[in-house]
Amino acid sequence: MAAGATYEPIATTTLGSAQSTITFSSIPGTYTDLVAVSTIAFNNSDSLALRFNGDTSSSTLYSWTMLSGNGSGAVTTRASNGARALADYNGFPTSTVGEYVSIIQIMNYSNSTTFKTAISRGNSAVSGHGTDAVVSLYRSTSPITSITFGMGTAMTQNFAVGSTITLYGIAAA
Amino acid sequence: MASGRLSKVKGKVVDIPNPPTIGTATAGGESVSIAFTADSSGKGGPTRSYIAKSNPGNITATGSTSPINVTGLTVGTSYTISVAGVNETGTGEYSSASGSATPIELTSFESIATVALSGSQSTITFSSIPQTYKHLQLRLLGRTDRASADDYFSVRFNSDNTAANYRGHYLIGEGANVYSGDHGNDYAIYGRLTGASASSNMFGVGVIDMLDYTNTNKYKTGRNFGGQDINGSAAYAWNGSSLWMSTSAITSFVIYPGAGSNFVQYTHAALYGIKG
Repeated sequence: MAAGATYEPIATTTLGSAQSTITFSSIPGTYTDLVAVSTIAFNNSDSLALRFNGDTSSSTLYSWTMLSGNGSGAVTTRASNGARALADYNGFPTSTVGEYVSIIQIMNYSNSTTFKTAISRGNSAVSGHGTDAVVSLYRSTSPITSITFGMGTAMTQNFAVGSTITLYGIAAA
Repeated sequence: MASGRLSKVKGKVVDIPNPPTIGTATAGGESVSIAFTADSSGKGGPTRSYIAKSNPGNITATGSTSPINVTGLTVGTSYTISVAGVNETGTGEYSSASGSATPIELTSFESIATVALSGSQSTITFSSIPQTYKHLQLRLLGRTDRASADDYFSVRFNSDNTAANYRGHYLIGEGANVYSGDHGNDYAIYGRLTGASASSNMFGVGVIDMLDYTNTNKYKTGRNFGGQDINGSAAYAWNGSSLWMSTSAITSFVIYPGAGSNFVQYTHAALYGIKG
């Protein structure tokens, strides 16, 4: 069996000032999967969203299903059509970077034959928050070359200073 | 102390620097990081850099400030480190040796093998799995020909086809209902994929960690995370745990779709090994 080291950092963005979106563009197509690790803070309770390739060409491009638990119960919900994928449903607002983390797996992002599916887990240890798991579908066979992270339905709310997202690439043998 | 080696620089006689005061040695992946405090006597003028040297091996690394990371060390070997200052005249005497530190395995995530289907196939097998990693991770994008929007997949290890040797639990959200269940005394179901009635471009995905897979004293535990979103019913975000009740090291495994179905074209399974 072949073997080779992988899981390579592609880029990291750490905010020096509050801004509404974080974008990774010109993503190399040389990996099999992408993993985004975020430690972010934001002051409004809303969801962490993703948009691929800047694609807003249709309001039915994205759908998602989520599962969430907060220590007292579990809930699930779904959106069948939308203009964004979802990385975290609850938003878990916190003013301190590091209290909330999410890991987002974007599978087979560079192929041109399948729609793109991403799975993510978000966690906040702050009292009253919790953990959630989300699966999102981007209904496009185009390879993903850019990813934009934003807050809320319109992706217009701000990430706080110090928020960090790192994008990794994983290559299969 | 310094031997008193001198040189003349711009008309001034410059001694070699005194050694720094050695600090704590901290083991890392195939490395030891050594902290030290610069000599404050001013002897030899400004110190340009420092050299850290291992014992055994005399492996060196340089740096301008504390700490210095000495790399390329052997995992499991106990090392002490000494540090010397360097100026225009040369290298000063080395400090006393640090306390010992033993490097650990360098953390690494490595691709082992990949199966990418160009047509239908009833199972996917990974065999002759190297025993040199700590954990395995399977990353799967898949779809089957089951006449439904979704299908299951399960994993059997080392050709063990005794259903009672496997257990599993799951927590699933499908948009309207939350499901939790127990796969007792049955092949551990690792997750769900899309089936034939989902749009042909829609595939389910999963990331499955097989922990401490070479250990011969423990049963083997897995954690499973994945999902499929097909814009309607039978969309799932799933989490699971699995148990193979065997102390044998995992050397092979087979991924099975639901009963009677086959994996279809573009199904992609990649196996990785994690060191450290």
